[in-house]
Amino acid sequence: MLPGPSNDDRTSRREFVRNGLRVAGLTGAGVAVGALSHRGAAADTVWQIDPRKCLSCSRCATECVLEQSAVKCVNWFPICGYCDLCTGYFEPQPIGLDTGAENQLCPTSAILRKFIEDPYFEYKIDEDLCIGCAKCIEGCKLFGNGSFHLQVRHDRCLNCNECAIARSCPGDAFYRAPVEKPYYQFTT
Amino acid sequence: MNSETGGRWTRRQFLGGTAVAVATGPTTWAAPQTAAAAAAVDENPWRYDVDRLRQVDPALIGYERVAGFAVAASGVRRLVWTTPRELWVTAGRSLLAYDLGGAKVAEVAIGDVVRCLALAPDGRLFVGLRDRVEVYDRQGQRLARWPAVSGKPFLTGLAVGKDMLFVADSGNRVVYRCDLEGRIQLRIGEKNPERNIPGLVLPSPFLDVELGGDGLLRVTNPGRHRVEVYTVDGALELAWGRAGVALDAFCGCCNPIAVSLLGDGRVVTAEKGLPRVKVYGAAGGLETVVAGPNQFAPVGSDERSRGKPDTALEGLDVAVGADGRVAVLDLVGSTIQIFQPKGVAAVAA
Repeated sequence: MLPGPSNDDRTSRREFVRNGLRVAGLTGAGVAVGALSHRGAAADTVWQIDPRKCLSCSRCATECVLEQSAVKCVNWFPICGYCDLCTGYFEPQPIGLDTGAENQLCPTSAILRKFIEDPYFEYKIDEDLCIGCAKCIEGCKLFGNGSFHLQVRHDRCLNCNECAIARSCPGDAFYRAPVEKPYYQFTT
Repeated sequence: MNSETGGRWTRRQFLGGTAVAVATGPTTWAAPQTAAAAAAVDENPWRYDVDRLRQVDPALIGYERVAGFAVAASGVRRLVWTTPRELWVTAGRSLLAYDLGGAKVAEVAIGDVVRCLALAPDGRLFVGLRDRVEVYDRQGQRLARWPAVSGKPFLTGLAVGKDMLFVADSGNRVVYRCDLEGRIQLRIGEKNPERNIPGLVLPSPFLDVELGGDGLLRVTNPGRHRVEVYTVDGALELAWGRAGVALDAFCGCCNPIAVSLLGDGRVVTAEKGLPRVKVYGAAGGLETVVAGPNQFAPVGSDERSRGKPDTALEGLDVAVGADGRVAVLDLVGSTIQIFQPKGVAAVAA
């Protein structure tokens, strides 16, 4: 009679189940930790535009997956000159320095001009009208301080994993900004 | 493959090939990138188009270029004639002297970034830093260091007379009249309804001052698009200029950014945005154009200027020599060009 297998070498059913649960538990914990860390990393950054690299090419107006682009013009007031003849607001050759549609550079009249005191005017953006075409930004940069600039507005942006505008940006101006600083910070 | 080594690369060939690849790689990568960026800008349906405004009718240009050279330094800002054959330029923390052939003949190191410069009749150089004036001799020896100006000073222009210096402070929006020891005697150009002075408007840091042979000051007021004429006692005598892209007007948000005076009181102005140098009569009528936008480096044409606002690049400075020639410093291209009226016999460089 041949000797049978020793009980010492065999795994009991109870041990087999226990080991299986242990492996399954560790695997599940690993998957959970990985998923959480990935989710945290994705939420830690958002898309933003570096105005120094922006070429005002207008692709922000057309490339966004949203029907109305999440990219809007923003006026950074600390460097705005509050100019009467704002080259971001007026056509290069305006008929008059007033709010007549024929004088305005913006194709959707999204810039609001308000008299402050002689000779200063304030310019605000109506973001529901702004399409992010950057025409005003080019005018402001060419003659002025560059206070008009494009920014991704996070109340609209879907924060796509692969941003369609960033992919086509010829100036490579899109970057991932930390959520603590979701907008570009100018230095004076 | 190398036949002499049986088709194998020698170590020298391998290293040489690697070096060539490393050297040419960025160039071949960057060229399509730059071309793609340029194409994207050209295809823009909402392009801010001022190309037509860059054209100036050649018949209206009354000056011709007689010399020019590159300034091999960064941060050039202002220039003055010191002799009919020598120009001094501020460049970062130094003053550079050039002859009209473009040879550097002197260099003076300054402890801070130089914002403006003026030459006194006795040969001393008044150097404007951000918040103070320093005085140097032509050999670079510092003779005096004036106390800092209070408030938010940003000095951008100097004009020197026989016994007084005028300091344009764009930060505080005022021109100071100082004695030659640095004591402020008078503030000129500040808003004063009782004296009918509207005040200086400076959306960007450009305030220039020049003292004419008639004893009157010419002060730029770029936010109001005009040149103002003051007595040395601060009374506003005259103001002229209007906003617009037309040739006789001052373009953009804030121009002119620099002035210089011809011997007969006519005014040479420099603009940014559309870089233009023009000559106006003493009462403000446009007389002729010295140089149009096509004669200067276009903003956005290179990596240095692309994407930057105009005020970060500054534009032009002008200086009129004793013989009427106009020197123009192009801050974007870092070049100096010399112009003289057409039909005048050329002066040897």
